[in-house]
Amino acid sequence: MSGFLRAVYRVFRKDLRIERRTKQVTTTVAVFALLVVLAFAFSFVQTLQRSALLGRGALWIAFVFAGTFGVTKTVELEDRNGALDGLLVAPVDRSAIYLGKVLSTTVFVFAVSLVTLGSTAVFLGYSPSVSTAVSIAAVLLVSAVGFAAIGVVVSILTFRSGLDELALPVLLVPLVVPLLLAGVELTAALESGAPLGGWLRLLGLYTGIVLLAGVATFEYVVET
Amino acid sequence: MTSKGERAEAASNAPAIEVDRVTKSYGHFTAVDDLSFAVERGSTVGLFGPNGAGKTTLLRMMAGLARPTRGTIAVDGVELAPDDYTTYRTVGVVTHETMLYDELTARENLRVHADLHGVADPEARCATVLETVGLSHRGSDRPAAFSHGLRKRLSLARALLHDPEVLLLDEPYTGLDQRSVADLESILDGFGDRTVVLTTHDLERGVDRCDRALVVDRGRLEADLALDDETAFTAEYRRTIGVGSEPERSGETAR
Repeated sequence: MSGFLRAVYRVFRKDLRIERRTKQVTTTVAVFALLVVLAFAFSFVQTLQRSALLGRGALWIAFVFAGTFGVTKTVELEDRNGALDGLLVAPVDRSAIYLGKVLSTTVFVFAVSLVTLGSTAVFLGYSPSVSTAVSIAAVLLVSAVGFAAIGVVVSILTFRSGLDELALPVLLVPLVVPLLLAGVELTAALESGAPLGGWLRLLGLYTGIVLLAGVATFEYVVET
Repeated sequence: MTSKGERAEAASNAPAIEVDRVTKSYGHFTAVDDLSFAVERGSTVGLFGPNGAGKTTLLRMMAGLARPTRGTIAVDGVELAPDDYTTYRTVGVVTHETMLYDELTARENLRVHADLHGVADPEARCATVLETVGLSHRGSDRPAAFSHGLRKRLSLARALLHDPEVLLLDEPYTGLDQRSVADLESILDGFGDRTVVLTTHDLERGVDRCDRALVVDRGRLEADLALDDETAFTAEYRRTIGVGSEPERSGETAR
């Protein structure tokens, strides 16, 4: 393994170890996502026959809320005690630190998305076929990468510049709109068997662009 | 990009740290203003000055945690530059904050940093530095359960993991009781011929510890004094900073 990849893995492993011990991100975020699905179930109890539409809506709304919360928690970890500075004084490429954080955030957000997908089946009767569910999970995974790529940079920027934690969604959500649009449309297309073309390209391209932008800007974001 | 050979030659002739006309601005506020000095190898240099003088900003720039707006900083003859992290191997940093994770044990915290620094035999090295700072018996405890003094010691252990030639210490005595200060002093005594740059408000301890004082005020280097006479230094410091004639600039962000 090259030094760069080793550093990515070490940052990722550190986050995973902390999460395994505290279960802070996955538990709280999963409960939060579950509550969103339950709120949908109670609010639209009369229209549950349109479960595909509701399930899709609940899934992606929960994704955005849970993702924002998840990103905040993983970055807050680095803000406490100046822990991020501890990583930055190590002789490793800062892109590796960024990608390690993106990787761990992606895993947490994706894990919660899968729980949300399952809970939409239980509480909203949303039951796509297995192959469609697998494809939706793949869309959620790519979206989680894009979300984490933007979220890590924006939340570090928020914390480092002393902005209130509440400023994060205001800055973050507009930037993830393309991911959200593509995700919702791809989910609908997967259910109906419509062509994926343009939305799939948007999701892939936007995720690639934000990831590259994150790698290019991270060094400047963390140096204050 | 310099070659390894050129770096080795530069390192053998150069001062441990060379700060050349460094300025750091945050918008209209200039934290460090056109500051230059060199730190000789093996010396202990104190950065003295009131709150908001620019000491911490300067130290953060030397550590590579902040980028100068203008000017250059070289460690071991190698200029700190974006995307070049080689000099980080020679520098250990202790700041106001511990840089530790409360969720991990002391030993796990050290292991994270040892791995990132590419320390050979990390387990053994973690045990050694824990012993150096007198925390061998607390390796399995989380730093959240530590007193301020013990957290500071663990932070020092983290900074020593990769056996750095240069140590940057930001206010090492702040918040410590007398016993913790004495413990810290005995650890610092064991540093041998390492180059140390520290910031402190504690004039008495700073004078005892350092060979040389750089007095910084409003981001500018006001005095560069040898510390062979404490009384003379204190008088010169008070004259330079104007203690007594000027209130503490508490309204400014302490950097």
